[in-house]
Order: sequence, then structure tokens, then C-alpha cells
Amino acid sequence: MSQEEPMLPDDEDDKRLMALVAGGDDDALRLLVHRHHARLVGYLRGEVGSQATAEELAMEVFIRLHRAASRWRPEAKLSTYLIHIARNLVLNEWRRRGRKPTTALEFAAEPGDLSQGSARRVAELDEAFQRAILQLAPEQRTAILLVVQQELPYEEIAEIMDAPVSSVKTWIHRARARLRELLKDFYAQE
Amino acid sequence: MDNPEQTPFDQELAATLRRGRAVSVAGFAERVVVAAVAARRRRTVVRWSSALAAAAAVFVALLSLPATSEEALNRQTFALIARDESAQLADLFGAADDLSLLAPVAERPAVVETFVSPGS
Repeated sequence: MSQEEPMLPDDEDDKRLMALVAGGDDDALRLLVHRHHARLVGYLRGEVGSQATAEELAMEVFIRLHRAASRWRPEAKLSTYLIHIARNLVLNEWRRRGRKPTTALEFAAEPGDLSQGSARRVAELDEAFQRAILQLAPEQRTAILLVVQQELPYEEIAEIMDAPVSSVKTWIHRARARLRELLKDFYAQE
Repeated sequence: MDNPEQTPFDQELAATLRRGRAVSVAGFAERVVVAAVAARRRRTVVRWSSALAAAAAVFVALLSLPATSEEALNRQTFALIARDESAQLADLFGAADDLSLLAPVAERPAVVETFVSPGS
């Protein structure tokens, strides 16, 4: 779990806050956004390869959540619902652009207390992996991001992607194989 | 979550992706709240505009419907008839509306002219 997340999302508390948001409570909305936005932006950045677009899409996700608050039924975890909306927006974004997001990458490693040499290597690795991930088929990219980056269980990914668990497993398997292939040269240099 | 393989590649993949797992953005929550409030205001304005437009349409209909009652329609019909020139002409001749009945009078044959004015 990242240290940027102030607290663990609590499903029951999310439901309570959503009820308040439906009643027009802006403080409840602020708290929900504060609780969930970091992972949502992280996921979206992995999907689109751009911090600005990721923030823009995350904003739209929360606007839609706010608009639908009175109709929201807590059948799934709020985090699942948010990623589900986010994924639909990503698909729309690709359709709008008419191609996959293989434009300039904006990934910057956050080396923390790593030495300069290690930091450079981390940055190179990050860029190589992220470039490779953006070359995956959309379903494979979403599945690998949700399972490896967001550490979600297969069942939850299947729910987000409106697909059977078997399809999710297949996409993840193919994504790993494709990434190995794309990064073959990078690893050969090691 | 299943984690079938932990090769160096998988470890690198996991480490790389998890570094970007959560990206906190300063002031993001406040931006969302401002945008959400603006969107809510827009929706309210649109809703009230629609309601006012509907109310105005009902009001206009209520005002105009009595004027088109049966009596008013009759008055309008008579007014139109009064403006009809063919009807006025028929009234002048004191004949029926069918002007074709007047045609023989308008174009009298020569024989008739002889009898009517023999000295001419």
C-alpha cells in the first residue's frame, strides 16, 4: 500500500458518505475524492500514459459519481465502481482519439532515497515497462494493470471489465507473454 | 490474487507498476468539489428553465383557448363571409350565390335586342 493514501478505504464508510453526497453534502464528496483519487489517477495514468489526461479523466469519474449519487446502489465496492466508470471513460477516450494512447510518455520515477545510479536505472526500467504496457491490447493492459498494479482479485477485475474470470486470466497470461516479448532486448542488455 | 510465477521479470513488472499505483494530486479534491457544484448549478438552471418554459406554454394555452370557442369560430366565419366579394355581388343581384344563373341576362341574344328596342 502506498504511503500517499491517508487511510484504508472502508466500504461501509464509503456507503455512508455516498448517502451524504446524494443529499448534497460537499464535505462528504471531498472526503471520498481524497480517499480514492490517488489510486484512480495511478490506474488511469497506467492506461493513458499521461498525467494530465489521467487527472482530467479522474475528475470526470468523480463528477459522474456525484451526478449519480442518488441512484447509486451499493451492490459493489465503491472503488470497483469508480474503476469501472474510469475504464469506460478510457475506452471512450481512445475511440475519440481514434487510436491507442501511444504518444509521449510522462512517467517519472520517484526514486526516494535511491542513489543516482539506481534512480537512473529505475527510471529506465519504468519507461521501458510503461512503453511496453501501452503497446498491449486494451483488455490485456487493463487486466494486467488491475491485477499487478492495483492488486485486485480476478473476480473484481471480471466485474470491472464485464467479462468472465476465465477471460481475465487469459488476458493477463497474454499480457505477460507479450510484455516479455517486447522487453526481450531490454533484458538481454542486463 | 494468484501469483503463479515470480521470475525476475515478474518481480520487475510488479515493482514498476506498483510505483505508479497511487498518484496523489495536491488540491484535487477541492477541484472536484468546485466542478461538481458548478455542474449541479447548471443542472438546476436547466431544470428550472424547462419547468418555466412548460408553465409559460400552459399559461399561453389557457389564455388563447377561450378565444377559439364555437361562438368565436362562428364570428370569424361570418367575418370571412362578409369580406367575400362574390357573396356581395350575389347580394346586389338578389340572386343565389351561383352566378352562372345571371349569364343569359348579361349576354342577351340579338333577337331579344330587336324585340326590346324595335326602333333602334
